[in-house]
Amino acid sequence: MLAMNEDLLKLALQTVQKLGASYADVRYIQIETENLHVKKGVPEEIRKGVSSGIGVRAIAKGAWGFAGTTVLKRASTIETAKKAFKVALASARAKKSDVKLSPAPPKKAKYSTPVKKDPFKISLDKKIEALKAAERAAAAESTELIKTSSSFFRAHRERKLFLSSEGAKTDQTIVWCGGGVSATAIRSGDVQIRSYPASFRGNFNTAGYEFFESLDLAGHAIQVAKEAVQLLSADKCPSTTTTLLIAGDQLALQVHESCGHPTELDRALGTEADYAGTSFVTTDKLGSFRYGSPKVDISADATTPGGLGTYGYDDEGVQARNVPLIKKGLFVNYQSSRETAAFLNLPQGSSGGMRADSPLAMPIVRMSNINLLPGDWKVEELIRDTQDGILMLTNKSWSIDDRRLNFAFGTEAAWLIKNGSTERMIKQATYTGITHQFWGSCDAVSKDDWHMHGTPTCGKGVPSQVMYVGHGVSTARFRNVRVGIA
Amino acid sequence: MSLVTLSEAARKTIKLAIRKGADQAQATAFTWIEDLTRFANSQIHQNVATHRDGLKVRVVLRRKIGDAAIDSFDPRSIEAAVGSAIKIARVSPPNELFKSLPEPKKYAPLKGTFDSKTANCNPNLRADNAKRAIQIAHKKATLVKAVAGSYMTGSASFAVSNSLGVDAKAQVSLAQMAVTVISERQGSEGHGYYSAFARSMKDINVDEVAEKAADKSVRSVQPIRLEPGEYEALLAPDAVSLSLSYVSNGFLGSWFQDGTSFVKHNLGKQVFDEKFSLKDDARDVATLYVTPVDGEGVPKRALTLVKNGFVDESSICYDSYTAGKEQKSSTGHALVPFFEAFGTGPDLVNIVLEPGQASEEEMIKETKYGVYVSRFHYVRTVNQPRMILTGLTRDGTFLIENGEITKPVRNLRFTDSFLDVYKGTQMVGKDRERQQLATVSPLKVAKLRFTGVSEQ
Repeated sequence: MLAMNEDLLKLALQTVQKLGASYADVRYIQIETENLHVKKGVPEEIRKGVSSGIGVRAIAKGAWGFAGTTVLKRASTIETAKKAFKVALASARAKKSDVKLSPAPPKKAKYSTPVKKDPFKISLDKKIEALKAAERAAAAESTELIKTSSSFFRAHRERKLFLSSEGAKTDQTIVWCGGGVSATAIRSGDVQIRSYPASFRGNFNTAGYEFFESLDLAGHAIQVAKEAVQLLSADKCPSTTTTLLIAGDQLALQVHESCGHPTELDRALGTEADYAGTSFVTTDKLGSFRYGSPKVDISADATTPGGLGTYGYDDEGVQARNVPLIKKGLFVNYQSSRETAAFLNLPQGSSGGMRADSPLAMPIVRMSNINLLPGDWKVEELIRDTQDGILMLTNKSWSIDDRRLNFAFGTEAAWLIKNGSTERMIKQATYTGITHQFWGSCDAVSKDDWHMHGTPTCGKGVPSQVMYVGHGVSTARFRNVRVGIA
Repeated sequence: MSLVTLSEAARKTIKLAIRKGADQAQATAFTWIEDLTRFANSQIHQNVATHRDGLKVRVVLRRKIGDAAIDSFDPRSIEAAVGSAIKIARVSPPNELFKSLPEPKKYAPLKGTFDSKTANCNPNLRADNAKRAIQIAHKKATLVKAVAGSYMTGSASFAVSNSLGVDAKAQVSLAQMAVTVISERQGSEGHGYYSAFARSMKDINVDEVAEKAADKSVRSVQPIRLEPGEYEALLAPDAVSLSLSYVSNGFLGSWFQDGTSFVKHNLGKQVFDEKFSLKDDARDVATLYVTPVDGEGVPKRALTLVKNGFVDESSICYDSYTAGKEQKSSTGHALVPFFEAFGTGPDLVNIVLEPGQASEEEMIKETKYGVYVSRFHYVRTVNQPRMILTGLTRDGTFLIENGEITKPVRNLRFTDSFLDVYKGTQMVGKDRERQQLATVSPLKVAKLRFTGVSEQ
């Protein structure tokens, strides 16, 4: 099957080169998915999907063209290649300068996610039984107050073959899976939700079924439901300025929104201005801007084992790398593509961050794993060292401005910290700040709870693309944060 | 693929599923064509032509359900998908809440929803329109620094059949243009945005879109800082539309059943001002995605969501599954297949706000000290039953003093209950604009609570 599709890719490449493209790359992608959802004892969703197609990207007259199709036949392949070329010529009608690409040695390589247990080979029975056990445990906590209990499983396998006119050929198989459990308690119009191991359907890693098993959803479901019920009687988060400890299942999204997106070079160069926006980290700040305190080290690492943004090669055939973005608080690098790296003459070339969410989409700069490197503290020590503060856990809402400066987050739960210990739970916890001031106030990062969090639904681009990315984070402490806005 | 081909693929799939032992079966075949020219920094930087076919099959074995999706109509793939769905159903536990796939109902096809010139637009024409928007924006003023946006043409077609006799189809062509203009004076940027959504290219006025975006951009440079607090607010249609797309979650059967919908906690009550009336109507040609049937082939009809500020049980929308849970009939709100990114339950994509009498100028005149909001950005729900939303203003936020727009202001963060915000509706505009998921007028509200200011 793959050999047949390699023939189609070669045909597409030849077609577009014959027409006169100065550069071209072609991708065949097949994506298999499985989504399982048990809600209130009922299998709400049991769905499998398979999709495949070819994407052709070409430069002609110095401008980009792209076309994609799901019809895997010779005639439609040729038609798609011709269309990509024609679209490139059309792009040239409104160009100011020719596209330039930073050099990238054409790799011929294979990569596969290390998988112990193929999640697609585990029987549906077994997976559904695991979900039912978790959901049952959550529901049983309070038949009166737990109004909705859900458990989720999701698996994704992507076969990707990439060829370029420069001679690159990469063949990858990326597998990820994971899941979660959640409980919603309701009383007199007060709705409180708790989730494990993260909100919005759980946590995901590039790994096999062994990762899902390691989550032990059933083992955590009772605590999830207990906390949802407890929140109904909890006080509201006070409106004040205080010391804030943020656990990894919230900090992952903080890193994502306030460090991941702003350091995407395409945003900084203005090419996302029409949709998600630009970036306050303008190119004049590279190498000199103080993004955070000296405790803050952040990298874009597409090689982190298990990370949801871990792969072998990006969609330009550039090998996965570990690129420091923020070193001891100083902004040192962008996430980039071959084109954006060439625009800034970055000596190291592309960071290897170009990915598309399907064969029908043109690759754009994407986060891989944006990791906040572990610090020196243990979580226990962090709490003991805090006289007066709040610990927030598990993301509930998120919002940030179009330059990634003013943010506001809400969490499912929070704990008041008094005299070095967690005193009691509070609800409707929110916090807000300005990105570089917030990261500048970080005075401690823990090491013992550092692990990879997966975000499978990062939206970007027009037409909209949804990408899976990862974040290695632990609990961290921030001073003078405004909390309790809602 | 033509509608005939899509219908044939759906019917063949059903026949195969029944032959293989399914008690009930449903198949949806669709084609999504999206050709999009994107520009930034006043030049085209992305230009794509995509063609996506898809087929979804659902089989029911007693109350056991299996779903499978593929992106090909070739017989081998269809056979594999049907086999996969049946295999899933066989090993699935029964879903006791499932009642039945929908029964067939007659529907009147909609005419004039498809323009083949738009569906098959030449990339040169899109590029020329992009170029024209860039030129017009730059002509507006020398302080225009960069123009970004996109021009999209394409079509969405689907056919749905089920073993009970549903056999329906729909097709719509699409043209959309969005322009963002960035101006700069003495290091201070001002952003402006405008967009147009239509089913035919001829209804996209490129000059108007570019001109309006450029105008707001030029007027937005050197904004002042406005302190957070409660202000009167005039919300332009783009801002109204985005906030309503969140508020409308309260009308979803899935939210209602989970107890998270504000409607559930306010049945029969006046939640909004009496001037605030809302419906969802996929047959209203003022909306973008007009379709005669939903994703299950159930005929579309208008659904009143808010009548003079009141909500009740009849405000809730359902697909056949969520309706069955309450022994009700589907309201025809099963998502069509190309909207699946929105989720899997019922949804509202043809929202219409009943227009009022006021012009935007009159609404500004009636504002003593308030904020004009062109757009909201990155809106999220903080509290579902109270519909507390947070987000920011973007691309043209202005101070209104004594009935006149006087100064641009920095983007502001708002955090407020939109039940309260729209309870405070003072004026509803008469001029409607078609946004992607809603057709709305501007609204003047008594107060909107701003909780922060963006730094730049």
